[in-house]
Amino acid sequence: MTVTQVRPAAPPARQPPPAQALPARSGVPGRIRVLTGVAAAALALLFAAVAAGAAVAGDGMRVIGRDAGPQVVATAGLYFGLSDMDSQLADVLVMGQGNDSRRQAALTRYEQQRAMANRALLKAFELAGSDQAERRTIESVLDGLGRYEQLAARALLLDAQSGHPAGPPPTEVVRVYREATDLMRLVLLPQAYNLTLESGTIVRRTYDDKTVMLPALRWAVVVAGLLALVCLLRLQVYLTRHFRRVFGPALVAATVLTLVTLVVGGNVLGRDLGHLETAKSDGFDAIVTLAKARAIGNSMQGDQSRFLLDKQRADTYEHTYLDKSQKVLYREAGNLDTYHTQVARGSDDYLGMLGLRLSVATGRPALDAYTRFQAADATFRDLVAAGDTGEAVTARLGPVREAFDAYDKELTALADRHQAVFERAVGQGEAALDELWRLLPYAMGGIGLLLVAGVWPRLREYR
Amino acid sequence: MKRLLTAALALLALLATSCGAGAVESVVDKDRIVIGVRPDLPSVGFRTADGDFEGFDVDVAGYIAAKLGKEADFIPVLASDRERVLVEGQADLVVATYTISQDRKARVLFAGPYHISYQDILVRPGETSIRNVRDLKDRRICEVQGSNAASRVLEERKVAARVLPFADYKACLAALKADQVDAITTNDIILAGLAAQDGGGMRLVNAQFNEQRTGVGLRKGDVAGCEEVNRVITGMYQDGTAAKLLKKWFGDTGLRIGTVAVPQFEGCV
Repeated sequence: MTVTQVRPAAPPARQPPPAQALPARSGVPGRIRVLTGVAAAALALLFAAVAAGAAVAGDGMRVIGRDAGPQVVATAGLYFGLSDMDSQLADVLVMGQGNDSRRQAALTRYEQQRAMANRALLKAFELAGSDQAERRTIESVLDGLGRYEQLAARALLLDAQSGHPAGPPPTEVVRVYREATDLMRLVLLPQAYNLTLESGTIVRRTYDDKTVMLPALRWAVVVAGLLALVCLLRLQVYLTRHFRRVFGPALVAATVLTLVTLVVGGNVLGRDLGHLETAKSDGFDAIVTLAKARAIGNSMQGDQSRFLLDKQRADTYEHTYLDKSQKVLYREAGNLDTYHTQVARGSDDYLGMLGLRLSVATGRPALDAYTRFQAADATFRDLVAAGDTGEAVTARLGPVREAFDAYDKELTALADRHQAVFERAVGQGEAALDELWRLLPYAMGGIGLLLVAGVWPRLREYR
Repeated sequence: MKRLLTAALALLALLATSCGAGAVESVVDKDRIVIGVRPDLPSVGFRTADGDFEGFDVDVAGYIAAKLGKEADFIPVLASDRERVLVEGQADLVVATYTISQDRKARVLFAGPYHISYQDILVRPGETSIRNVRDLKDRRICEVQGSNAASRVLEERKVAARVLPFADYKACLAALKADQVDAITTNDIILAGLAAQDGGGMRLVNAQFNEQRTGVGLRKGDVAGCEEVNRVITGMYQDGTAAKLLKKWFGDTGLRIGTVAVPQFEGCV
């Protein structure tokens, strides 16, 4: 599609080819014109192919590097902020009376996450552009967030009034919190998560599309370039024969410039294909996976507080915790105890979302941090099972939360590394294209002028 | 020269159009698709006397096919057939209370979930001592072939219920009514459908103890198909169809429908 947009109008009109039978001398200008015309057409094709290739690569870089890439960061940030709001709220509700500094810290973090979620929402909305489905989703999250905050405020107020000790708050508080957390976990978070996935879809499609078109256009550059070179050489040979000049400097220069265009054009397209591959495979895919894993991780640790807070739903929250754990790092386990044992034993062949990424050396610190987090969870659940609610609350708000934060920090460090790879690849790809776009008009103009300069004097001899 | 140019352009065009040929044929590339649905679950996926299929899953499958712009043929699949029909290529999609799990994901691809249900408990009308999964301790529950619901009570929830094997849910329900078992536990919408068809006042406890993500099964590798189905599911919730269908099939079955919202998708990789 792009080919037709960038390709200049039809090649210069040609005179009908002179018949062989015509007297040699009078056929010369016609012949020169034909050869020049064909060379010009081949050059036009070369430039069209380079321009089309650059346009395709540029489009790929823009979609992956400027739209979907940042959108993943924005929507993942949104998920994280929302999810953490809900777990901070749960934390405050289970900590009970006499934990004022902790309560204040959790509320401060709640506010920070709310601000972060709001910023991420705005950013996501901006990046959604004209995508109606995405915009509807973001608007729906925005509406829901307002309702959530009202419910959260009510739960907090009721909780403060009740003055309960550490552990599950009174039924009335649990009822309001349930309404809030259902809204968050069943309505808002899925939408944020699906937005991240949608960006992944957009990138995969763009990438599949570009990785087919770019190599083809690169071949087109090579073919058109060689064709132009052959034409220019043929023209020179003809002129040499008929005008007894060894070579015309202008045409030689045009030929060299054409060769340079061919090599540079083909090279830039090839390198951009490489940058696109790096940005996608080493950058984007890893960023999305880690964003998803962080999102699920955060809701996992929220499930720990919810497990404490809502006795009636404790089984469900324990199950979702196991389910999410297995999604992140899979070991076959029919219940949470078995899973804890399996994780504590360690393994090099985890399946699941992070299985591959954490089995390599760079993933080791994150894997170790995850193992420590699960160990902390096991201790925490033992306390709950033993009926030590107060101790369990202290464990949840202290060591368990710290173990989670340490694990999350490792994931963030991994994600930052891939983010850097991603940005570098996109930056280099775009820089190469910018350079190409800057040089292309000069090459075009230069070669055109040289071609005219090489042919015009010869044609004038016939006036 | 001219011929060479034409040949080069033809080659280019050929390269550019040959992109669709992937390893797995995607459902998006077909005009007619085959969808596997359950024949044995009233209100969910059920074959009526005249051979048609009806139920929540069937309506969802029909909606997906229509939005994908495909003609759909339905084939019956039992719980134990779901994976096979996909792997062997007899069905393009499976919409048959197919719970997403990490084991299954090794062999099939899941779009959705299109519905989040919970494991629940069905009891006789007079039964009041069973209110949640823990109350199943030492009680008789039935285990249906091909379903892992009963073992989840024992293994995952560590509740020592007494498990009695039955061939299918129909036999299970008969046993419940005849006082041979005290409860049936499985996916809440299956229980709601059973109770509604029976009409004997069997009661859903609404214990909702295990979250079950019900997805659309696709052949592994059909990423494009999976992404497209996910978009359709998003639309199904945004346009109100999902809420309408849940109300149509389970509105007066005693099932607590609760929040109806687009579920968190599994992702297509």
